[in-house]
Amino acid sequence: MTSSPSRPAAARPPDAVPAVPSPAAGPRPGSPPARRGRGARRAGVRVLSLLALLALWQLAAVAAGNPSFVPAPRAVWDQLVLLSTTHDGVRGYGGHLLVEHLAISLRRILIGSALGVAAGLVLGVVLGTVPWIRLVAEPVVTFVRALPPLAYFSLLIIWFGIDETPKLWLLAIAALPPVAVATAAAVHGAPTGLVEAARALGASRWDAVKDVVLPAALPEIFTGVRLAVGVAYSSVVAAETVNGVPGIGGMVRDAQRYLQTDVVVLGLLAIGLSGLLIDGLLRFAETRLIPWRGRV
Amino acid sequence: MSSHPDAPAVPAGTDVAAVRLEEVEHVYGGAGGPVAALGPISLTVPRGTFLVLVGASGCGKSTLLRLVAGFEKPTSGTVRTGGTEPVPGRGAGIVFQQPRLFPWKTVGGNVELALRYAGVPRAERARRVPDLLERVGLHDVADRRIWQISGGQQQRVAIARALAGDDPLLLLDEPFAALDALTRERLQEDLRRVSAQTGRTSVFVTHSVEEAVFLGSRVVVLTRRPGRIALDLDVGLPRTGVEPHELRALPEYAALRAEIGRAVRAAAA
Ligand SMILES: Nc1ncnc2c1ncn2[C@@H]1O[C@H](COP(=O)(O)OP(=O)(O)OP(=O)(O)O)[C@@H](O)[C@H]1O
Ligand SMILES: [Mg+2]
Repeated sequence: MTSSPSRPAAARPPDAVPAVPSPAAGPRPGSPPARRGRGARRAGVRVLSLLALLALWQLAAVAAGNPSFVPAPRAVWDQLVLLSTTHDGVRGYGGHLLVEHLAISLRRILIGSALGVAAGLVLGVVLGTVPWIRLVAEPVVTFVRALPPLAYFSLLIIWFGIDETPKLWLLAIAALPPVAVATAAAVHGAPTGLVEAARALGASRWDAVKDVVLPAALPEIFTGVRLAVGVAYSSVVAAETVNGVPGIGGMVRDAQRYLQTDVVVLGLLAIGLSGLLIDGLLRFAETRLIPWRGRV
Repeated sequence: MSSHPDAPAVPAGTDVAAVRLEEVEHVYGGAGGPVAALGPISLTVPRGTFLVLVGASGCGKSTLLRLVAGFEKPTSGTVRTGGTEPVPGRGAGIVFQQPRLFPWKTVGGNVELALRYAGVPRAERARRVPDLLERVGLHDVADRRIWQISGGQQQRVAIARALAGDDPLLLLDEPFAALDALTRERLQEDLRRVSAQTGRTSVFVTHSVEEAVFLGSRVVVLTRRPGRIALDLDVGLPRTGVEPHELRALPEYAALRAEIGRAVRAAAA
């Protein structure tokens, strides 16, 4: 990021109505230098806490004295290198590199939560607009939400076999409730003033839903989507307990069976870090797609 | 319409009043017990009238507009617009007391949406958005977000949006309250001229006696809550062919202002 003091004034076209706050500055508070200072401090804090965590981990490993119980950071790092390369004729873990395991799991998460989000959206709109369906279906959604994914996975395997289908179903079912609940709440609490304004302009019921209720609900829905992806993430290990290799969850499960604790920890780190990354992407998309968050 | 025995039974006749309230009362229910907000009030507004409602805060002015817009059903009595029961979005443009713009649309997008709801084809919409914004004195802000313009500008966008439908009835709830004196005067003059030219019926709510005399062809002063008619006055000032400053200088103008001012003070006491 380059900074020159003349930039803001030079980049903006002359303002016709000077009394108005500058549009280019956008909604974010704080001037760029102040923000960068704060950003640097925050990054510093994060690096420090990460280092502290590593040190603690190392201490714990030494204290435990048993690498099958608590593997040292170094052992996990070595596994990372091993699993990312072909060595002694073996490719990664179980014939797949770490990134391949991860990619396949991510693909499952993506498809599963996309299906769940789509269904949750539709269900949420219906729940939020039709009172009697809400009465009937809301307990069902809450019921499903309370079930641990592993509990219904057995049923899905009986129904759909052991290939991709039950895995995607599991992730979709896990992702649906957060979106449905968030959408229903947001649609139900649509801003009456704006709905009235649309109706006063001649909007039909459907127009009002499409042009007012949904956009007004979008920030909350997006929070539901983030939760849903998070739930799908935490369910992927469950989804990959049966016939899960390749897949990061399957890898962790196999490693557990052979007491390769360092691989287990590596798998957990991979899931967690990629989860952080995906959530960051979603948050970035959110600020881009929904600039009116907090302005309704 | 029992007062006109020889009038045709068809409500779509040309001489049907734009707005008619008969013995209208409105009571809000709620946790704090019922609140009698308005009436009983009877009021007939012929077509082409520029009716200004004046009254103290909380006397039921917005309630009256909401009844005429069709957003509320009266607790008792009947409300008719153009001879039929009012339905939101049919035949009345509304400027609410708050701008109520859609933050997910730009300024231009808000006006464009209004045109779309009014059934204007896409190609024509693109042409009319700048026209409408120009009419309320807004240029160069069409691409801004709603929160990037001032409160007064937001209210002007709301006015442009209400004008988009070209409805025969215009309901305005203190639309100029948030504007600076200069812009307010300019918009008042514009509104006065346009309403005289188009002959459309308007119901305009304000706190300002000055605004009432300047804009209204008829001024109704309401009592305190529940609002009833304290004064109903035809303003005999010329609607066309007079410059605003000449109008304000007329002796009748000052007299009307004094009379309405007295009524407002008496009604509020
Ligand atoms: N939804 C509601 N529920 C209960 N009471 C209400 C409701 N809306 C308005 N009121 C009450 O009805 C009365 C009339 O309200 P209204 O909004 O019509 O006043 P107003 O004349 O427009 O006032 P102002 O000039 O302050 O806008 C007020 O006393 C108000 O408190
Ligand atoms: Mg009001």
